[in-house]
Amino acid sequence: MPSMLQVVGKQLKSHPALVPLFIFIGGGAAMSMVYLARLALKNPDVSWDRKNNPEPWNKLEPTQQYKLFTINMDYSKLKKDRPDF
Amino acid sequence: MAHPAQVGFQDATSPLMEELLYFHDHALMIVFLISVMVLYIIVCMITTNLSDKLILDSQEIETIWTVLPAITLILIALPSLRILYLMDEINDPHLTIKAMGHQWYWSYEYTDYEDLGFDSYMIPTQDLTPGQFRLLEADHRMVIPVESPIRVLISAEDVLHSWAVPTLGIKMDAVPGRLNQTAFIAARPGVFYGQCSEICGANHSFMPIVIEAVPLNHFESWTALMLEEA
Repeated sequence: MPSMLQVVGKQLKSHPALVPLFIFIGGGAAMSMVYLARLALKNPDVSWDRKNNPEPWNKLEPTQQYKLFTINMDYSKLKKDRPDF
Repeated sequence: MAHPAQVGFQDATSPLMEELLYFHDHALMIVFLISVMVLYIIVCMITTNLSDKLILDSQEIETIWTVLPAITLILIALPSLRILYLMDEINDPHLTIKAMGHQWYWSYEYTDYEDLGFDSYMIPTQDLTPGQFRLLEADHRMVIPVESPIRVLISAEDVLHSWAVPTLGIKMDAVPGRLNQTAFIAARPGVFYGQCSEICGANHSFMPIVIEAVPLNHFESWTALMLEEA
């Protein structure tokens, strides 16, 4: 029983129009998964380690960039003007 | 405010709303292009004398009509994400105002330096003076200095409301027990209207929001006057 990959490879050879489909759908799925993983691991709203790092949202720096892109902001230039706890 | 039978957006007063207008023009143009193309294809299909009963597939056209829509979607997504991130940027507001939703009026608190607060009720239709707008005018306007970044903290005292001013591109839900923040810059002076945008009971349609953007010296005289009256 040939594997799924070999079956698909054979179909691609006779239908090359499917290649862009794989690229766009595969790329979209990959980008979504990467963003989801980034949110899970780097978002300060998420707490994985309850012993050592229970509340990461309390450790936000004023100069740290948490979002994926910035259009006009340069976070390193922000000053901290809030009182410390 | 909107003029009678207006279909499109109101003119932008804040830079973010300008960006939203440009994006809307861009996306709507793409939508019109697709619609016209589809309509043209339908007309061609119906009015053609050509017929080939033996076509089964074609790799070239399949490739084209996979790649072109994907590119179109990317061309829509990139400006959209740009505006999304632009709207979330940290700004440095000069003034913070709290807008609290009640049934059925808004109350504004300017507590940055002194205790300034007031309620803003709709002016009933029978009390309007000539030239005023029906269902849009309020007895006390939220006065702000023009060209200054303003932060608005929005909440509610009883049920859900929503603080919306279309010309500034702002709509933010007023949730009891929750503080929502939004910010804007009024790039030009004027009077800007909005209406409560979350169903909140009998007079939901009768609790408008009126913002008056004035030069800074006028704003300062207004705050002095309001504090005296209190």
